[in-house]
Amino acid sequence: MTTTKNDFPPFLREEALERAGGDAKLLDELLSLYHEEFGSKCRDLAEAIARKDADEIRKLGHGLKGSSANLSLPALREAAWAVEKAGMEGDIEKAREALRRLAGEYDRLKASLG
Amino acid sequence: MADASPLNILIAEDDPVSSRLLQRSVENWGFKAVLARDGGEAWEKLRDPAIRLAVLDWEMPAADGPDLCRRLRAQPNRRYTYTILLTSRDKPEDIILGLEAGADDYMTKPVALPELRVRLQTGKRIIELEDKLLQNQKRLADLATKDGLTKLWNRRTILQFLGEEFAEGKRRKTQTGVVMIDVDHFKEINDTCGHLAGDRVLVALAQRLKKAIRPYDRIGRYGGDEILVVLPDCGGKDAAAIAERLRLKSIRWPAYLGKQALGFTLSIGVSSTEHLKRPTIDGLIQSADQALYEAKLSGRDRVVSAKTRTSRRARGSHDNNEE
Repeated sequence: MTTTKNDFPPFLREEALERAGGDAKLLDELLSLYHEEFGSKCRDLAEAIARKDADEIRKLGHGLKGSSANLSLPALREAAWAVEKAGMEGDIEKAREALRRLAGEYDRLKASLG
Repeated sequence: MADASPLNILIAEDDPVSSRLLQRSVENWGFKAVLARDGGEAWEKLRDPAIRLAVLDWEMPAADGPDLCRRLRAQPNRRYTYTILLTSRDKPEDIILGLEAGADDYMTKPVALPELRVRLQTGKRIIELEDKLLQNQKRLADLATKDGLTKLWNRRTILQFLGEEFAEGKRRKTQTGVVMIDVDHFKEINDTCGHLAGDRVLVALAQRLKKAIRPYDRIGRYGGDEILVVLPDCGGKDAAAIAERLRLKSIRWPAYLGKQALGFTLSIGVSSTEHLKRPTIDGLIQSADQALYEAKLSGRDRVVSAKTRTSRRARGSHDNNEE
């Protein structure tokens, strides 16, 4: 069973804002791009899991890890990393678990953003 | 470099968040961003020679970053494109693979933007160095091969072309024509209107001749006011027709020095390998020269073709081969 790591904060706003060059409007834009991307990637991920396509799972996890890291979303970054790792190991069951964790972290993020 | 147009950077990144962040950042740093969402689109956009810098994500659909680097480096005549690979792979063997594919630089994700900025500055310096080098190279090549006044090929270069064309014609069993053009009373133009006027006549003549020749003909300044045109795949009759066309197109209007009209006429001698029993390069030039001399003697302002020579004479001219 995957351990749930709650020690990663959902969003480091200060750090993200700094990456966006202090431009709060740009940060908002990036976050909304992230939301769109997250929705479509999660759908693709569910399909890849259904198909048992390990390489696609790895790629999708890898992509989400990157955009989460870019926006300083450590909890989502870790959850995406778990997806990528499951894909690398070809462990579909673990991938399914990781996807649930990803969805949970995403809800936490939305709650924290209000 | 605030006055120069911004350098174009290709950002090949399939993640929209990273792509937007990179786009905004490089634009803030004074570059122009061109975006691609996968390797295929990136390769398409890299065909634009204006793109001199590329930030390539390692993992992309269609073609990955190292693939793109390899393809770029396989194009030897391409202007240099400075590439930075972005990746979350940071094992030494990955770095080696990326750099071996031809990337100039390598950064791990998430990209530290201040670091990217200075690395792009390095890329910009290298691009600018290359541009300067190519500019100088071209200037030196022009100095060595072109005539400074008329911008026609210089004597050495036009003779080199003639040599190459002569050999090529022999191989292909085609004729090679030469046309020797001389401005009538050029010395008088210089003496009465000044050397600047003579220069203007030569420059106008060169421009008009350049427009009137066939695309594969070559034209050079042979001497003071003598211009040599090399006509590949061209027998005596065609050479004479081309020469007449060159003459008419060149003298239709005067040249101008300020408002002063400088009318001029041309004497032209034509020869081709067809005229010579045993053609040589020197024989070709000598027979065109001879024809030019005859054009002068018979009243100037005309084209005269070489007469068919006996083999003895052609051989003779080769043996006395003079520069």
